[in-house]
Amino acid sequence: MGFGVSAIIELREVSKLYGFGDAMTLALDEVSLTIDQNEFVAVMGPSGSGKSTLMNVIGLLDRPTHGEFKFNGRSAARLGADQRAKIRRDTIGFIFQSYNLLPRLTVLENVALPLAYKGVPAGKRLAMASHMLERVGLQDREYFYPGQLSGGQVQCVAIARALVNDPKLIIADEPTGNLDSVASRLIMELLTEIHKTGNSILFVTHNPELTRYASRVVYMRDGAIMQDEATKFGEVAATALKQMYTIPERTVDDDLAGVSALMHAVPQKPAVRGATAAKSGKKAKRKPAKRKKSGAKK
Amino acid sequence: MIALPLSRGEVKMAIASVRSTKWRSLFTMLGVIIGVVSVVTVVSIGQGIKNQVGSQIGELSRDIITIRPGKLVNVSSDGSISSVNLLADAGNGGSLAAQDISTIADTKGVQTAVPLAITNGAVSVGSHATNSTPVLAATADLPTVLSQPLLGGNFFPADTTQQPYVAVLGSFAAKTLFHQSQPLGRTFQFMGRTFFVQGVFHQFDTNPLSLSTDFNNAVFIPYQTAQSLTNNNIRPYEVLVKPATSGQANAMVGSISTALAKAHQNQQQFTVLSQMQGLAVTNNILNLLTRMIAGIAAISLLVGGIGIMDVMLVSVTERMHEIGIRKALGATNHQILEQFMVEATVLSLTGGIIGIIVSFLVEYLLRVFTTLTPDITWQIMGLAVGVSLVVGILFGSIPALKAARKDPINALRNE
Ligand SMILES: Nc1ncnc2c1ncn2[C@@H]1O[C@H](COP(=O)(O)OP(=O)(O)OP(=O)(O)O)[C@@H](O)[C@H]1O
Ligand SMILES: [Mg+2]
Repeated sequence: MGFGVSAIIELREVSKLYGFGDAMTLALDEVSLTIDQNEFVAVMGPSGSGKSTLMNVIGLLDRPTHGEFKFNGRSAARLGADQRAKIRRDTIGFIFQSYNLLPRLTVLENVALPLAYKGVPAGKRLAMASHMLERVGLQDREYFYPGQLSGGQVQCVAIARALVNDPKLIIADEPTGNLDSVASRLIMELLTEIHKTGNSILFVTHNPELTRYASRVVYMRDGAIMQDEATKFGEVAATALKQMYTIPERTVDDDLAGVSALMHAVPQKPAVRGATAAKSGKKAKRKPAKRKKSGAKK
Repeated sequence: MIALPLSRGEVKMAIASVRSTKWRSLFTMLGVIIGVVSVVTVVSIGQGIKNQVGSQIGELSRDIITIRPGKLVNVSSDGSISSVNLLADAGNGGSLAAQDISTIADTKGVQTAVPLAITNGAVSVGSHATNSTPVLAATADLPTVLSQPLLGGNFFPADTTQQPYVAVLGSFAAKTLFHQSQPLGRTFQFMGRTFFVQGVFHQFDTNPLSLSTDFNNAVFIPYQTAQSLTNNNIRPYEVLVKPATSGQANAMVGSISTALAKAHQNQQQFTVLSQMQGLAVTNNILNLLTRMIAGIAAISLLVGGIGIMDVMLVSVTERMHEIGIRKALGATNHQILEQFMVEATVLSLTGGIIGIIVSFLVEYLLRVFTTLTPDITWQIMGLAVGVSLVVGILFGSIPALKAARKDPINALRNE
């Protein structure tokens, strides 16, 4: 098959379709992607480009419509609902943009929840959760409810919860999406810390600055991977950098169409590594700064 | 791997979830509470009556035989009651004529036979008249046959020609008519005559569902007097017999039946019962009634179950996002199912327990304000809790299955 041995994620021509007929959306368009153990991958791309869809497929929350997906060497298509649940529980940690803590449980109970589903006895799992909270610097907030914490703190709790089962893979869909730059950096530094212990991390971001933390950046557009580049730790990825400094001028046309100029600031089709070139004749205007028909929606 | 031990945390979480929606939970439980209260109360009243009837059959009165017109029960050859005709024409089955009474009295082994007849009419004390106090005509041997002592005064003598207008009161009748426990010497008006109270009975052990009139509420007047007041148009509804020797009740039942059948050439039917058989009849009727009413009350438990299902369905829909989060964190379908089943069970069980507490309250009120003595036994409580548990599990399973089967990503998308 030619897949790497140590690959934790192997996607081959994976597609995800939503809806039928005219209302059909191609959320993932024959995406091929291999992620090895201990990679720190940032996923970028305009809204609607399929980033979340990709995360959900990789995280075994969603099933692709077509293509082959191997998780940790096992074909995902053959996994039943309960097997998927157990893999999520034991090997995947999720961090969401909207935190997704349970509001009626305390911080400590939230963090301990994955352990509860694993069958860890109450005393032990609370101790483990407490230890995790200490690691994210929130040991003094154990008995708070999520509603009593700041967004940054809640996200730290969510990270503690994602880590409590010592997962191989952490999937974070815009973990800093609701946070300011200081809190974002804190979260990213925490993830970097975790990464050092050997986990693979996959995160989605709209902020080019945050690609500094990644070892690899994947750009998506229209459900396909446009570019896939390795970056040095601590440096903003080249393409992302370009995006940062070439944010196109807003044109009158854009304003009229209600489209943000930022939408154009994404590299176009060629220059792809690892991604199969989309065969469909997608209009591929090279220059990102040029106007294009609105967003990624098809 | 399916057998996940029910952790304390899960139960705690379920309780927390039920508590966080206190009001809705209470209204959900209301159906179960009402169901349990009605079932427990009905059954406990029935049980209380049975207890009373049982204790009423004392050593002394065990020998009494009652004869009533109509075929009330079917007695099989071995003397046991095979069935009870609840709809027996109690009134239309004919009545006992004067000859029947003498037939009974003349049967060998009968010591005394006392006819009892209801005399219609209002009893008035001063200007106050009431129809709710039955006036029973009886002969002088009534206290002997019933083995019932008097609280005060004397029962009327066998011959009342000298003093026809005398009466003896049941203990409640004394209180309701005269507002005192021993209104000896007081008078009341009945059928245009002034009666003179010359005795009051001790309180009879009540038997609220028995086929006979409640003696505690009754006024007793001499049979002769009633005969002359009604121009001999008096029809006894019952004859009480005391056998000459005790322990002969069952044999006496046979010989009285035979004598009556012979006198009527098998044309008219009578019900001759010893006290023990009578107890069986009462219990039969009581069981039937209790079961019937409890069955009706059980419907409210069913309605309660549907209420639980309804609230759980709403709760599942409302908590779709939570279900999504839990699934993302690795909860299996089975674990989600379990969570909602535990919640439904906590709801219905709490309802059941509240229901039992309320039942005790109702029992207390019934004891204080009525003559009923409901008896909540362990069995009834166990049954009520068990049934509410079953209701919770039964009706909770549909919403719980719905929650468990939800696709994780779709659940997660629900905000
Ligand atoms: N449940 C769904 N039903 C129909 N279409 C969907 C569904 N989920 C996603 N889509 C479509 O799939 C495409 C990709 O969506 P996705 O959420 O993956 O985008 P995204 O890159 O995460 O965007 P954003 O940056 O705004 O989060 C979009 O066009 C979206 O409309
Ligand atoms: Mg998204």
